[in-house]
Amino acid sequence: MYRLYLVPTLLINVVIIFIPAVLTIALAFFRWDGITTPVFIGLQNFQALWSDRVFWTALTNNLIWTGIFLTIPIFMGLLAATLLLIARRGSMFFQVIYFLPMIIATAILARVWQGMIYSPVSGVNGMLQRMGFPTIDPLSQPSTALLGIATVDLWHWWGFLCVIFFAALRQVPQEQIEFARLEGVSFWKILRYVLIPAIWPTITLMMIMTVIWSFLVFDFVYILTQGGPAFSSEVLSTLAYRSAFYDLAVGKAAAVAVVISLFGLVATAFYIRAQAKEFHQ
Amino acid sequence: MKRRTFIAGSLGLLASTALIGPALAEGKRITWWYESADPKQQGYIKSGIIEPFNTANPDFNLTIDYRGTELDKQMRVALLSGNGPDIVYTAGPTYVAPMARAGQLLALDDYVTRFGWTDRILPVFIEMGKYDGKLYALPKTYETLGLFYNKTLFEKHGWKAPTTIAEIETLADAMLAEKIVPFASGNANWRPANEHYVSIVLNSIAGPENVYKALKGELPWTAEPFVKAIDTLNSWWQKGYFGPNYFSLSDEQAFAQMATGQAGMMPTGTWQFQRVNTYFPPNNAEVGFVGFPSAEGINGPVYPLGVGSTFSVAATSKNADGAAAAIDYIFSEKTYGVMNSAWPGEWNTPLADLSKVQVDNGLPLYGETMKTLAEAVGDNQYGYTTWTFLPPATDSYLVSGIEEVWLGRSTTAQFLEQLNATFLQEKADGKVPAIPAR
Repeated sequence: MYRLYLVPTLLINVVIIFIPAVLTIALAFFRWDGITTPVFIGLQNFQALWSDRVFWTALTNNLIWTGIFLTIPIFMGLLAATLLLIARRGSMFFQVIYFLPMIIATAILARVWQGMIYSPVSGVNGMLQRMGFPTIDPLSQPSTALLGIATVDLWHWWGFLCVIFFAALRQVPQEQIEFARLEGVSFWKILRYVLIPAIWPTITLMMIMTVIWSFLVFDFVYILTQGGPAFSSEVLSTLAYRSAFYDLAVGKAAAVAVVISLFGLVATAFYIRAQAKEFHQ
Repeated sequence: MKRRTFIAGSLGLLASTALIGPALAEGKRITWWYESADPKQQGYIKSGIIEPFNTANPDFNLTIDYRGTELDKQMRVALLSGNGPDIVYTAGPTYVAPMARAGQLLALDDYVTRFGWTDRILPVFIEMGKYDGKLYALPKTYETLGLFYNKTLFEKHGWKAPTTIAEIETLADAMLAEKIVPFASGNANWRPANEHYVSIVLNSIAGPENVYKALKGELPWTAEPFVKAIDTLNSWWQKGYFGPNYFSLSDEQAFAQMATGQAGMMPTGTWQFQRVNTYFPPNNAEVGFVGFPSAEGINGPVYPLGVGSTFSVAATSKNADGAAAAIDYIFSEKTYGVMNSAWPGEWNTPLADLSKVQVDNGLPLYGETMKTLAEAVGDNQYGYTTWTFLPPATDSYLVSGIEEVWLGRSTTAQFLEQLNATFLQEKADGKVPAIPAR
């Protein structure tokens, strides 16, 4: 009887996730403009992706994005959370400050950075240029566009990690930290041998989620550059969006979505494995 | 408690009767989804179209719903599910053929005769809205590309509006020497702005006859005239005619730069007329507009024809007569005058005869330009904008592909080759919009 409790959530999952997912996978094998009747074409959409250099650029950009977000914000978040743990005074204030960007809509954040920071007309960048500094708008150069977008997302994201890590660190038994301090262990060694091992499951979870989210990144890229200039900041999700809604190639977009899901699936498998391991321990 | 409930219930019943009463008295509802419009613009639509239509047609009740910039995506999904509004507002002629093929649109041929559209609307536009011999769409507004310039700045430097490609290049070089950006431009808010420049060179350098042949599949996009056009555009980019901040500026910021004299000219569309009164008078400057200069051997200036959005009636509409009547009202001389007076550049419906239309928007230049364009279209002497006549994936590639040429990531030959391959694929799939005969 208790299994009946599963029905509502199961129903929601079937309607909102399972059916659209199955339809998307099926569409990847069809040619469809989103308007007329779909035509079955087998693996042609995947073959087209294989020989599409923009697809490879997008995939590479997603990998670079994942690399950036697996390192920089996690390092910054850990460092700041540890400092908050040690210097307890004002920690609430800093938590609020760090978390603030997370509660602002991404579209607004992106427009603020575009108009008030990067813009050579209305932004800080323009002010610096008028003062004689040879600065550039990173979004306007193929070599820096992706980094320019990543900077905005990093600014928005790392504070969230900091708050999560801080919450985990507060669960570490105080005696362990106090004991290490009494023994004269340095800050870095406490971090290395006490704190990080204690919150390792949280770090692992956030890293796995980072991989999944990195392959889903869309909003900042679409608002700031729409994948440009010259495809230099294209990611898989913007490629899928452009294919579906501008090229009217919904089948190809579905194929890209399947590729995105494959990466998410691998990360999810790791997550489930890690969870199972933790559960057994 | 019971008495209170009774009183509350009675009041509620009275209120609902008061609300439902007028609703029942109103005519049959016509739904129309529109893209984004600011409150001022929504006011123009309300006072210029909705209210006068409903007053003149008490049997109908035209309602409008502002859906934002993603309207075309919402519309496609709604029509797929058999819903959506009575008046279908598409993102351009490219979308009409697949929608008509899918049976989502109603053939308008009966209304053509009922409302006399053949006499009132320029024939080219009737042809553009056809699929399989039947009319499915009419363009809401049509536009062209040309060259805006800061007349005051030109007078100060003794410059004249260019009439040939050689003249515009000499002028642009002179501007660069004066540290003035020759072409006010930017695509930060709208990446497809790139195709405005591609459309300009395809028509003014390769020529509209060659573009027509390519659209009909009689000439490949890799042919020599197109190579010359893209090479010229690339040389302008490399020389810095588009300024240092193309990818950072919005078109509005670029327009403002031209008004202040930081930039000299702006190759762009007639929709920019709506910004003239905002930026030129405060800078004590006067605006100029000419057709874009043409290359030797091209009879110019060429006015490339652009249609940004179209009107159709949904096949599932329960009030098709009402929807067609509303479209007919929008295509009246009265609406043309009212809407173009309030909101120039956005409601240039393709009326064949503008001689009796009263437009008062303080922009005589706009009126003259639109008359010139109407005449050019009437004489079949027009060019082709890429967003109107190219199929979707070809157009989408063109937007990003030209950036690759500009930024040295591909060559003109590679760009045109991929453009041609994408076009041929879409032509084979029947995605090229109707191309009226010249």
